[in-house]
Amino acid sequence: MASQLSFTGFAWKNLWRRRLRTLLTLFGITMGIGAFVALVGFSRAFEDEWMRLYTVAGTDIAVVEKNFINTSLDESLGPKIRAVPVVARAMPMIFNLIDLTPDVNALVYGWRADSYELDSLTMLSGRRFHDGQPEVMLGRYLADDLKKRTGDILPIQGKDFTVVGIFHGGTALEEGAVIMALDQMQQISSMQGKVTAFHVRLRPAPAGESYDHYVKRAQTEIEAAVPGIHADPAADRAANNQLVELAHSVAWGTSSIALLIGILGIANTMAMSVFERTREIGILRALGWKGRHVILLILTEATALGVAGGLLGIVTGLGMLRLLSNLPQTASVVSPSVSPLHLVESMIIAIASGLLAGAYPAWRGARLSPVEALRYE
Amino acid sequence: MSNPLLDARSLVKTYDNERVQALRGVDVTIDAGEYVAISGPSGSGKSTLLHLLGGLDTPTSGEVLFRGSPLGTAVNLDGYRSRQVGFIFQAFHLLPTLRAVENVQVAMLAMNSRANHRAERAAALLEEMGLKDRMRHYPNELSAGERQRVAIARALANDPTILLADEPTGNLDSMNSAHIMELLCNVRLQRGMTLVIVTHEQGIACSAPRHIRIRDGRIEA
Repeated sequence: MASQLSFTGFAWKNLWRRRLRTLLTLFGITMGIGAFVALVGFSRAFEDEWMRLYTVAGTDIAVVEKNFINTSLDESLGPKIRAVPVVARAMPMIFNLIDLTPDVNALVYGWRADSYELDSLTMLSGRRFHDGQPEVMLGRYLADDLKKRTGDILPIQGKDFTVVGIFHGGTALEEGAVIMALDQMQQISSMQGKVTAFHVRLRPAPAGESYDHYVKRAQTEIEAAVPGIHADPAADRAANNQLVELAHSVAWGTSSIALLIGILGIANTMAMSVFERTREIGILRALGWKGRHVILLILTEATALGVAGGLLGIVTGLGMLRLLSNLPQTASVVSPSVSPLHLVESMIIAIASGLLAGAYPAWRGARLSPVEALRYE
Repeated sequence: MSNPLLDARSLVKTYDNERVQALRGVDVTIDAGEYVAISGPSGSGKSTLLHLLGGLDTPTSGEVLFRGSPLGTAVNLDGYRSRQVGFIFQAFHLLPTLRAVENVQVAMLAMNSRANHRAERAAALLEEMGLKDRMRHYPNELSAGERQRVAIARALANDPTILLADEPTGNLDSMNSAHIMELLCNVRLQRGMTLVIVTHEQGIACSAPRHIRIRDGRIEA
């Protein structure tokens, strides 16, 4: 049986004739998609973890400063917030990302010892911290990274803290975090009398009122009772806090540049390929190929690069995420899993990159005059 | 009286802002099933005329009628080239990345035929050209004569009504030239096709039933 030549088979042979160039182009788009999968996947997972942080603890609303960059509120606003009828609990808190060692940085929370948020944690060893004492509790991943156990000393911002307990939290953010008394956190952060936010747990919603509507109403009531503050529903706060926004910006910025380089790589390869194959395109036109067949051939080649780069990029991106989730510097904030939707999105971007990069070379190839192309040396 | 298969009327073709005049008013008619040789010195315009007859290029003025309909307006050039015309070139113009049998199939990729049908037809044509054992060879593994036979098989792939050959023996030795000409003549007779050959070899030109001489862009006799 004679070997059959299909359209895609022909495109494949064209790509394979310049193996090195094809592989280098593939490397470029793989890196672009890999960066997108890893970085955007990381920033979204980070946002999801943040949301879980609120839902696991049962926080419905975060009260923060209006027009904040580094939000800071007076701790004395607590009673006013608690006085709003829909508010069940309002706990002041501070969080910050702090270098614990040259290699390890972690989220550090300052909570009050009576915070309801402590109830969502399971103590694996030791006990909870006490207010007014230089004591910390460590998430179990962080304790592993730092090789600390109950009773050890952990210096933070120049002050020694005793590790009084190791806990298991509901989210990766907590598993890699330090929790200490609010007053201690205020001292080391020079924020005496100030807090980052109040986490608010609402009373149960009245029968017949949807949760979303209830939270919206509570938000309005809190903002009316305490002027100058923002009462953000937990979902908004998870998406809009500075760390998540920074992660999103860095992820999109970096992966956009990487993708652009990948797209330019495909465009360059296809443009070179069309230029080198000018006479071959003339032959195809002489054999009756229409302009649209030439466009289809070149777009098939460019899209094949996009698809292959997309698949390899996904594998690379997932590998990078796995690596980041195992590094002590990033383990506390990186989850190795990404949503299937993100992978679909990555493939769509990869295919669109191929089509975009192939569009101009394809158009140029289709416009070649058959007789001029045949004369081309 | 029925229309001729091809009717070229007052064909003028200029290049480079009319500084080069390849054809200066050529009228020629070719009937279905005819075997016509076009000869002339280099630069006389014979290849340009072939390109215009084959719909590879468009004239600066004048027109080519195919069965009474003008090419490029009433007859779509792409469709005309794919269904009605088979081209054979002096330099063979095979695609180097494709095997012989794939080179024949590539002409059929633009048609809506099934892959297995394309492969079977390509194999049958190569067998007819005496290349049964060379189907899976790449062009650089074939002799010049074999390459031209692959090119003839490719030109026949879509079962055209007209075969246009531009110096088909120009790159061949005398033995291979004779073999290729014999093949072309047999193909024409068996299929009842129209064959137009551009050549500068007088022997080939004179053996054709009709011989058109062209010089300085005009037909001589």
